[in-house]
Amino acid sequence: MDATEKMDCKKAAEKLYDLLDGELTADVAKKLRQHVSDCPHCFTAADFEKRFLTALEQLKARGCCPDALRAKVTESLRAAGFRA
Amino acid sequence: MTETAPIDAAAHEAFSALALTAMDDVYRFARSLTRDESDAEDVVQETYLRAFRSWLTFQTGTDVRRWLFTIARNVFLRSKERGKREVTLDDDGAEAVDAAEAHDNWVRKGLDPILASSELGPAISEALDELPEAFRSVVVLVDVEDQSYEDAAEVLGIPVGTVRSRLFRGRKLLQTSLMTHAQDAGLIPMPGDARRNT
Repeated sequence: MDATEKMDCKKAAEKLYDLLDGELTADVAKKLRQHVSDCPHCFTAADFEKRFLTALEQLKARGCCPDALRAKVTESLRAAGFRA
Repeated sequence: MTETAPIDAAAHEAFSALALTAMDDVYRFARSLTRDESDAEDVVQETYLRAFRSWLTFQTGTDVRRWLFTIARNVFLRSKERGKREVTLDDDGAEAVDAAEAHDNWVRKGLDPILASSELGPAISEALDELPEAFRSVVVLVDVEDQSYEDAAEVLGIPVGTVRSRLFRGRKLLQTSLMTHAQDAGLIPMPGDARRNT
């Protein structure tokens, strides 16, 4: 879709993730934001998806490399010639 | 191949400062690929060994995480020989849109009240583990590891359009699966539960 195309709910639904992921051109993003703010259905959908992606992002804090693995990696790297 | 090229002291330091500090990210990605703690550890170890041996091929100034993710993905595919499964996946985005729309209202209504709940974390992890690998990788790279569509495409060796369609479908599948996990965990009512007895 380009910036001259008319935005409707179907197109908005297809492009919503692109908008939230920052993958749209400025023109198209502006058009989609305008539609979302004017359309209660799309506004609700966008609000939900935004909060869903935020919840998903929280997983980053949950998956840290165990210390034992970190030590094992360092040990095997040293055996391969790593010096630090 | 330049895997056995010797590297100097400065390169050792750079490897330590850049590559080793990304181990949490590589571990998370490996864990999402394998869904198994022990297999993930093997992938991380092999990834770092390969990365160290080919460190001189890393282009300074580029994203070291993207480079490590690419190696990890290759290690995983080779160890499990899962490459053949990838080509059988349906990447039809339009079909995914229609299928997802049928569930949207139901999912939104169910998940909306609990999205901010800290108790949702384990349910998201479990639901993510159950996604088919091709969708899981894209969702983890973009949504958890903050990679752009283009970077994720490079890591996975697929077109950007495929990243986009898998991401769409993966997120919708994840939401549907999350509903089941949240119901099982008692975070939202089971279907047909009118809660009249409370």
